[in-house]
Amino acid sequence: MITRQFGSEVRWMLRRPRTLIGLFGLVLVPIIISFGIWTASDEGEGGGGPPGLGAILQGNGMVVPIFTLFLSLNLLLPLVASIWAADGLAGEAQHGTLRGLLVAPVSRVRLLFVKLFGLTAMSLFAVTLMAVVGIISGTAFLGNDGMMTLSGTTLSTAEGLVRIGLFILLVTFQMVAIGAVALAVSSATEHPLVVQAATMTTIIVFQVLGQFTSLDWLHPFLITTGFPGLIDVMRDPIPWEQIGDSTLLAGCYLLIGTGLAAIRLVTKDS
Amino acid sequence: MNKRKVTLAAAAAGVITGVAGLSLAAMPAGAGQPPSLPDVSAESLVQQVLTSKPGAFGGTVEVDNKLGLPSLAEIPQLADGKHSARIWTDGNGKFRAALPNGQSEQTIVNDGKTTWSWNSADNEVTKAEHKADQPKPDEQKAQSVDPAAAAKQVVGLTKEFSDITVDGTARVANRAAYELVLTPKASEKTLIREVRIAVDAELKMPLRVAVLTNGASEPAGTVGFKEINVGAQDPKLFEFTPPAQAKVTTPEAKEEKGRDRRPELGVEQALQGKDPQIFGTGWDTVVGARIPAEAMTQVPAEAQGLVDKFTKKVSGNWGSGQVFTTKVATILIADDGRVVAGAVPEQVLFDTIGQVK
Repeated sequence: MITRQFGSEVRWMLRRPRTLIGLFGLVLVPIIISFGIWTASDEGEGGGGPPGLGAILQGNGMVVPIFTLFLSLNLLLPLVASIWAADGLAGEAQHGTLRGLLVAPVSRVRLLFVKLFGLTAMSLFAVTLMAVVGIISGTAFLGNDGMMTLSGTTLSTAEGLVRIGLFILLVTFQMVAIGAVALAVSSATEHPLVVQAATMTTIIVFQVLGQFTSLDWLHPFLITTGFPGLIDVMRDPIPWEQIGDSTLLAGCYLLIGTGLAAIRLVTKDS
Repeated sequence: MNKRKVTLAAAAAGVITGVAGLSLAAMPAGAGQPPSLPDVSAESLVQQVLTSKPGAFGGTVEVDNKLGLPSLAEIPQLADGKHSARIWTDGNGKFRAALPNGQSEQTIVNDGKTTWSWNSADNEVTKAEHKADQPKPDEQKAQSVDPAAAAKQVVGLTKEFSDITVDGTARVANRAAYELVLTPKASEKTLIREVRIAVDAELKMPLRVAVLTNGASEPAGTVGFKEINVGAQDPKLFEFTPPAQAKVTTPEAKEEKGRDRRPELGVEQALQGKDPQIFGTGWDTVVGARIPAEAMTQVPAEAQGLVDKFTKKVSGNWGSGQVFTTKVATILIADDGRVVAGAVPEQVLFDTIGQVK
């Protein structure tokens, strides 16, 4: 029963033109990055690519998906998650279709879980799509001799794929956590744009707050604090501490978002 | 409507759990109850520390630094703040250290024959083949974050000049440890009030070193294990194959290339070239040297500006110069090229600098 609802939710989401346009935009990111690094390599010496992970991208195509997702996690992926969350409840409310769902003899909690499932499935799909395109374009433009880690070791392609898979899951989880909070906003308004604006403003403000060392007591509460630590996937052997912390942090946001959305939906007048 | 209430309660519980989880994560981990261990005399503990043979272990080290040092591009791990590093050793001289720096990482591997130093920021490997007992700079850098090695050195150098006590126990990296405290004797003119070393009760291996200075309750610097697993480590960790795309250089080649780019190297080499002169003993030991006049004049304006920013101009009957102060050490650079440094107040340096040849 619920699987049918899950299926129809995802089908609806995939049918929206903006979803397709969004996915197309996401897919462009790894291609542009691979192309950019490849042209930079043609200029010979100088290198001087982007700092951090970007420095080891040269000739290391398997890192492109990780680099792409790591960059996108700061703005692009939260934006996409907020769009889907906005469409899920506020969008339906705006079109008047939410009323039908609320009066239907279906538990409202179940409705929320269907929306959350749709968000999760689409996030996983989008992130995986970006990673796959990243692997392909990275291999095509930059070559693939296994995956070189930040620690200077070289992993076999199979081990590299495992790392990419792990990173896909971690990034998806962060996205879903942000999406859950966006769903809570979405349940409280009829205007999808409000949801997107609120979510993106929050993410940007969090990142700005994260820059101030004088506010370091606040940093453990900000979901954005957990983003940079995910790069530990590219170290060898993997230090799990920061990855665990980031995931726990996102888990707290997921609980808060889902809880608030459920409270709002249950108390909402049809 | 009972079901509705249950749903609401469950949802509220979810929100509360989430908020509680956030607050818990934000709280610093408590030190926990100090373990109870059989009494041990300070003297025998010191002996055991000095004679303990480091075994194989791997772990995460956290450096908490409030020394007030300017951040150096060379060793970002030693700038003020908290930094962590991961080290592994097989107990027989082979080791690996991973020093993360933001999103890049420096890895230093000693495989027994060669010391490899990899920096992901510039995709470069420095390969230093071991020659006759020559100190290897990168290796020293890696060992500076190893609390066990650091503590041994401190104890060895200062035990005659300190009052040594065992001050209770502590739990470090989930292991029971004795707190060994070295307090400089009253006759020592030093900035340091005490050095606390947590010594593993079982292995007698130092797990944490904290340096406390006069007039501060918080340690000026702490190096300690956050996590440690003792025992044989994966032998693969002590191998290193340079990645296919990386540039491989030797330290000599790197120095050649770096000389024109990095002016401060000139001064550094001048300092290393002359045998440093040692004055005094114990905690108030002062190290002196003379920078050749041409090296002093070679310092370009921008480097001079940097020096001026961190130093204070001083003068006395010994001459004039600049003094650079941190919480644990003072460095005095006279305008004529004499340099003295030590873990002492500046007055001691003023008294000593006249002896520099």
